[in-house]
Amino acid sequence: MRLVRLFRSPEAISGLVILGLLGAMALAAPWLFPRDPLSIAGPPLLRPFQDWALPLGTDRLGRDVVAGLFHGARTSLAVGLAAAAASILVGSVVGTAAGFAGGFVDEVLMRITDAFQTVPGFLLSLALVSVIGPSLGVVVVAIALSSWTGPARIARAEVLSIRERDYVASARVIGMHPVEIALREVLPNALPPVLALSSVIVAAAILTEAALSFLGLGDPNRVTWGGMISEGRAVLRSAPFLSIIPGIALVLAVLGVYLAGEGVVESSAAREGQA
Amino acid sequence: MNRAFRLLRRRLVGSVPVLLVVVVGSFLLLEAAPGDAVDAYVVSVGGDAGMIEALRQSWGLDASPMTRLAAYLWALLHLDLGHSVAFSRPVLSVVLERLPNTLLLMGCATALSFFLGSALGIVAGARPGSFRDRFLSIGSLALYAIPGFWLALVLTIVFSVELRWLPLSGMETIASGKTGPARALDIARHLVLPVTSLGLIYLALYLRIMRAGMAEVWRMDFALAARARGISRRRIVWRHVARNALLPLVTMLGLQSAAMLGGSVVIESVFSIPGLGRLAQEAVGARDTPLLIGIILVSAVLVVAINLLVDIAYASLDPRVGASEAGA
Amino acid sequence: MAGFEISRRKVLAGSAFLLASTALPSFGWTQEKKGGRLVVAADSEPRNLNPAIVASNGVFFISSKVVEPLAEASFDGKDGLAPRLATSWEGSDDGLSVTFKLREGVTWHDGKPFTSADVAYSALSVWKPLQNLGRVVFKDLEAVETPDDHTAVFKFSRPTPFQLIRNALPALTSVVPKHIYEGTDIAANPANNAPVGTGPFKFAEHKPGEYYRLERNDNYWGEGEPQLDEIIYRVLPDRAAAAGALEAEEIQLAAFSAVPLADLDRISKVPGIKVIPEGYEALTYQLVVEINHRRKELADAKVRQAIAHAIDRDFVVKTIFLGYAKPSTGPVPQNDKQFYTADVATYAFDVAKANALLDEAGYPRGDNGKRFSLKLLPAPYFNETRQFGDYLRQALAEVGIDAELVNNDSAAHQKAVYTDHAFDLAVAPPVFRGDPAISTTILVQSGIADGVPFSNQGGYKNADLDALIAKAAETIDPAARIGLYKDFQKKVTEDLPLINVAEWGFITVARDNVKNVANNPRWAVSNWADTYVET
Repeated sequence: MRLVRLFRSPEAISGLVILGLLGAMALAAPWLFPRDPLSIAGPPLLRPFQDWALPLGTDRLGRDVVAGLFHGARTSLAVGLAAAAASILVGSVVGTAAGFAGGFVDEVLMRITDAFQTVPGFLLSLALVSVIGPSLGVVVVAIALSSWTGPARIARAEVLSIRERDYVASARVIGMHPVEIALREVLPNALPPVLALSSVIVAAAILTEAALSFLGLGDPNRVTWGGMISEGRAVLRSAPFLSIIPGIALVLAVLGVYLAGEGVVESSAAREGQA
Repeated sequence: MNRAFRLLRRRLVGSVPVLLVVVVGSFLLLEAAPGDAVDAYVVSVGGDAGMIEALRQSWGLDASPMTRLAAYLWALLHLDLGHSVAFSRPVLSVVLERLPNTLLLMGCATALSFFLGSALGIVAGARPGSFRDRFLSIGSLALYAIPGFWLALVLTIVFSVELRWLPLSGMETIASGKTGPARALDIARHLVLPVTSLGLIYLALYLRIMRAGMAEVWRMDFALAARARGISRRRIVWRHVARNALLPLVTMLGLQSAAMLGGSVVIESVFSIPGLGRLAQEAVGARDTPLLIGIILVSAVLVVAINLLVDIAYASLDPRVGASEAGA
Repeated sequence: MAGFEISRRKVLAGSAFLLASTALPSFGWTQEKKGGRLVVAADSEPRNLNPAIVASNGVFFISSKVVEPLAEASFDGKDGLAPRLATSWEGSDDGLSVTFKLREGVTWHDGKPFTSADVAYSALSVWKPLQNLGRVVFKDLEAVETPDDHTAVFKFSRPTPFQLIRNALPALTSVVPKHIYEGTDIAANPANNAPVGTGPFKFAEHKPGEYYRLERNDNYWGEGEPQLDEIIYRVLPDRAAAAGALEAEEIQLAAFSAVPLADLDRISKVPGIKVIPEGYEALTYQLVVEINHRRKELADAKVRQAIAHAIDRDFVVKTIFLGYAKPSTGPVPQNDKQFYTADVATYAFDVAKANALLDEAGYPRGDNGKRFSLKLLPAPYFNETRQFGDYLRQALAEVGIDAELVNNDSAAHQKAVYTDHAFDLAVAPPVFRGDPAISTTILVQSGIADGVPFSNQGGYKNADLDALIAKAAETIDPAARIGLYKDFQKKVTEDLPLINVAEWGFITVARDNVKNVANNPRWAVSNWADTYVET
């Protein structure tokens, strides 16, 4: 029932198709382009569609743009998904616990959240990556550390509002255990707004990685779309394709993640409406 | 009012441990960083071992980290933010010099994204699933997906370099001697592109939340009841649905105050605006611990203040939450 | 270089210019070309602007207009020098004294007269004890005698080559006013951030994060100089900002390759903008691979030779520097007229030979095609050093060496390479300052304390080379000294304590109406007294 609904929305379908394609690109990269995507494959700054061995041209050093795009799909998606998963998991657990338990627990958890939130997230990532040095794992941790507070806040706000509602009150009246209420009644109802945020967080993670690369804090041993864009920035006007091509990939990925996420949320909301 | 006052007091007392965590955390972070302020300095000037030793001594970096942290906290207790190593000036004066620029940039960008975003969100959410809804949602998302620095660079190339309509960088015309309205106009012209670049990034966020919130509220009892009573759709949108959908939006506003500051690092760098974000980046690069902590503290105070306002707004919008907050 | 086709853009730009010029108030057409405001890009804000303490190009770029040295580099002057605060200089045969005749009628910006006492004070209280480079060159300076107000005699306790002192004049001898510094904590004197000098421009103001402003010194000693009324250094930290600012006419000049090399070809075709590769002849930067000789593999000369053979210098020059560089042969750059020799060991690009050398050294390829792994740390200071890092990783992969790139920021790089020695290979951009004794021999000499940037921190120790460096340092006879430094180049290229890859000067990009640009070999860091903006 739910799946059928998911496939009825054109947005959800296009989102899933985009994600599927990008996922396939990511998986196929090592077979299609077995060489290191950072290796020099041809003359530098070759424009797209000139040489069919290098269909999208080459960058400043003569590295193959297509190979970079495929391998970049791997790292960019991995960074985005890993960071988002970590921050949503941590955030929604903290938020639900705080909102539902209330009192002292809420106080402590929210103070910690506040402390993280008062530090500008990007600044925290920037400082952390500068300190430990740019590698993929550090970038993921840095992004997650700076973005878990959003889901936590939203989850808490939702829980606060839901726990006053009738069905929670009636569950309390019939003597349900608080943890059971939290897990069975509150969390599922609090989750949709948090998930609605999840696509934004994946996007933010991919974009944060790009911004870090822009400031010279990307992992130099791996290709990412963000890294490609910031490399192409120096020649933005003489060879715009170098930043536009990975830029399009980035926009597509974000759109795909978002639309698919939206579809899931809407179909589950519709199911609920029916029930 | 009484309730608001209690909330204020609670918040101010509550923020002390938060700020302490922030201070100690950022101190330790920079302490763990490879290289200190002297390393950052000698890179640009060169120097021999004796000079490096002397510098470390005169900048007070030869003491143990714990001694320095204690000294810093002691000074902080007397409201002294210390001395910036990189600027050879009191931290407070360096920070206050940059703060107005960032506040102006952030304030305008927040206003742009909040008002335009929620207005478009209402337009989109009024008829979920319509063409208008889809166009706005996807369009705003595409804007969100473009890296901020790239959008900023393209905007400058189009509007400053090719068309020459707007200035390329800076906060105002250098040493122009303008005052009063002329200066305000000059600053406004300089702000158009940075505010647009920063505001457009966050536009999608408010649009999405407003729209999602509205979809949610549409299904609630009172909206259904209002519809059943035959009240016009437009009236329901404005009087009931949008007002209720504002709640998570206002939460977001508080959240975003810190995120905006982070986002402004890159925008300030592209547009050469001397603001807090760029200063923080310089402080990290120069390993200027007192300065970085000073910036973080000032922005933390700012964020605490904004969130306080948000909570008050929240309480007045949703009486149920207000009651439970006050009772806790 | 610039192609001048009439394009729509050019016509548009032309009409914009017409509009602009009619809108401007009457800029005296009848007057001579004096006056004008020059706005230039600055990418950083030095913490200390006193060039007598911090002899670096970042500081000189701004303060050389305010504080003058005894002599400046020159294309056609004797020994490549033009007089500034000194009008003549002469060394004694025993290498124990140097006599400077000083310019008369010069005043400081605060109106006090400039005398030999200022030179004596600067030399003994600032250059020798405090200056990053002066601490080496003036280490044996014992006293400065001032028989009259316009003569200063430097007395050395040990023979010091006059040739070295002469070569050091432009960069190391900025004279600061005694009456402002005497009796104060020199390092903390407020004049370090608002310098007072004798130069053609006075320091007017600094708005942090925005700009520096220098204004004309009406009492400058130079006849009819300076030509400009004002110089403004616009702080543009973003690497991509300068090109756009030039095109939008918000700035008129960007020095030190503030416009990325990859953008030069395009911008050279924009009407009204010129690309000027001259004016950096005495500011040669060298692209160097630093080697940590503590690593067993790298302590083997064959491995170092293999790495040298694995690098395609022509590719580096053509692709990374887009032709605005030269392949290096050794530790002295080719454009140095006094010391350079081509008679050194060379390492042609030859992957097969590199592979053979590595096999010979006893490091065969493993099952995965790799011989051993290395940590490679490119210096973060320039785009080019990072890009070369990217290239070097690939070049090493071709010969079976697996290099992991570690990108650090400046402070972390300084700590990792020069203090902790936590690297195997590093990419560095040292500067050649006209004499190998100023900042070149330190790159290979042993016995240097940890933490000194741009010095031998690779643990390399070669007694022969150390002896040679020590001997050259006390050789007075110019010809003999040059001979020793030629030996030095030979020895360095044979043993490869480090690998010199390329050498480059920077590029200036300016609007066409900025005149007298790049007319000396240190132009970007000279005083700009004769530069003007045509209106």
